[in-house]
Amino acid sequence: MMLFKLAFRNILRQRRRSLLTGLTIVGGFVLCTFTFSLVEGAWGNAVDFYTLDSIGHIQVHWADYERKPKVHKTINDRRLVEQTFSANDDVQAFAPRVYSPALAYAGTKTIPVTVIGVDPDLEAKVSRLKEKTKIGQYYNNAHMRTAMIGAGIAKSLAIDVGDEIALISQGADGSIANDLYPVTAIVGNKSSTDSRVVYLSLTTAQEFLSLGESVHEYVLLVRAPNDNEVVAKALETALHLKIPEITVSPWQVIDETFYRTMQSDKRANRFILGILIFIIFIGVLNTVLMSVLERTREFGVIRAIGSRPSTIVQLIFIETMMLTTLCLLVSIILLVPILAWLVNVGFSLPEPVDLGGMTFSQIRGGVTPLALLAPVAYIYSFTVLVTILPAIRAASVTPKTAMGSH
Amino acid sequence: MQFLLICLLFITTTSFADDSTKQATDIITEMEKLYRGNASRSTLTMTIQTPNFERHLTMTGESMGQDYGFFRILSPKKDRGIATLKREKEMWNYFPKINKVIKVPPSMMTGSWMGSDFTNDDLLRESELVEAYDLELEETDTQYVIMLTPREDTVTVWGKIEYVVDKKEMLPLSQTFYNERGVKIRVMKFGEITQFEGVRLPSSITVTPLNKQGHSTAIVYDNLDFDPDNISEQTFTLRNLKSRF
Repeated sequence: MMLFKLAFRNILRQRRRSLLTGLTIVGGFVLCTFTFSLVEGAWGNAVDFYTLDSIGHIQVHWADYERKPKVHKTINDRRLVEQTFSANDDVQAFAPRVYSPALAYAGTKTIPVTVIGVDPDLEAKVSRLKEKTKIGQYYNNAHMRTAMIGAGIAKSLAIDVGDEIALISQGADGSIANDLYPVTAIVGNKSSTDSRVVYLSLTTAQEFLSLGESVHEYVLLVRAPNDNEVVAKALETALHLKIPEITVSPWQVIDETFYRTMQSDKRANRFILGILIFIIFIGVLNTVLMSVLERTREFGVIRAIGSRPSTIVQLIFIETMMLTTLCLLVSIILLVPILAWLVNVGFSLPEPVDLGGMTFSQIRGGVTPLALLAPVAYIYSFTVLVTILPAIRAASVTPKTAMGSH
Repeated sequence: MQFLLICLLFITTTSFADDSTKQATDIITEMEKLYRGNASRSTLTMTIQTPNFERHLTMTGESMGQDYGFFRILSPKKDRGIATLKREKEMWNYFPKINKVIKVPPSMMTGSWMGSDFTNDDLLRESELVEAYDLELEETDTQYVIMLTPREDTVTVWGKIEYVVDKKEMLPLSQTFYNERGVKIRVMKFGEITQFEGVRLPSSITVTPLNKQGHSTAIVYDNLDFDPDNISEQTFTLRNLKSRF
């Protein structure tokens, strides 16, 4: 306790210097937390956009369909699979889909497209397809024999709502799937990920591809998106008891490239902030060294009256830790309104950005455990680091040398 | 004297080789004409077997000489009316549901016909074997074994084809297709000899790709008429391809 009192007294001995050092630490911490929050928020928004656009938080396929898609690799026992989803409280919504590459014709023009069969009601709960339907009408029943086409297809084939589109593909039974569908809606814009997609209602797509009741994929949203990998594991365990061939993949596996890019960017951000904090703490090191140097005679006296070197090390550590903790408390008071603004209001973009049919006008921060705890860990780590040298120096002073110093 | 003997030996050998090639050419030509005659009309059943599905198609086929061929699917209902036309070096598919005629590019001649293990080329025989390949005849007691090696200017995916013919019946038994590395890729077998209008023919042809386990396609001729009355060049037109039936 005495060491704490001594440490507190020492901080107050040079108030101006302590204040300046404290301001440096507060500035560094606030800047670090703000940047972490901004990066986490930006990536969080990107992940939300990406997962809700089409891929969902979790996908379920038959065996290796995700890596090697073939029209006949289907999930046939849908009732059993859907029961498993419904029984898991962490699953917010799920929707079945079927896929096939196809050739699309209109007039004399031909382009390659992807046909996706969706259940209109369930799909609206797991993706933004309904919101992205800009022109025409979203399916109002599950059996409509019509097509909703991506904006890229509408432009390439020069067709609009009310025109017809012919599709040719290969059926699951080896037949040549071919049919004609009236276009009832245009989805997204040219930059949308689904600009070359023809959406059919699930039953129409199943009939087109001779799939019966089978589907290629289930897309799931979970209630806590950050826990999607845990939920995926639980679902896989439950499903494997009934159907061992089923594969459950979190979005981090489905789009590993995107996930790795995100992780690399976050790592780079952490590294840069680490360097920034390090530079700030060089100043703190200077302050602590000065403080130790000024008190050399004092340490000599303490040693002369019988204190051990470890006591001096403890004293210096407690001093810097106490100063850092006080600074963090002040920083947290400052950060509460700043983060509240960043998370709820954020920066307005000069021009709204259209990403695949969805408009973004704000960049907001995110409050995650990483955004809050990483800066604290940085600050304390560097505090310890910059205290080691002065503490060793102070502890190694002999009373004789100390008494002889000015 | 010695020079004369060598010349005689050379002439005799060349003459034997020419005779052998001519015999092989005659055999292949005869085999290739078996199902075609000058003109023919047939009804066929095609069974496509894969590990994932089994599919049956019935269809009509018409041909005239080497240059004209026409196939139209009768069942199943979903595929009814899909037709294929070959005129000389060109080929088209017609899809009645979307009323669309699609030309098959030459690069797709070795592609699958309607999801089967037969290629477009198999069905419509664009390649005249005796013109595109060099022939080499070997004989056993019961069979002619003719090895077909593509000529330099022949565009084909096959490195060689082994054509086996039954000597007694003078009917094809099998064709084995090899790639350029000499690996067997697929086997076409002929079986179930049946009499069509007095002509004995194998009524079934089965293709088994050896690099796709569990896949095979069998064609069975249910009916085959030679030189029917109402087949002419008009049968093999784009207009007829698109006609309703």
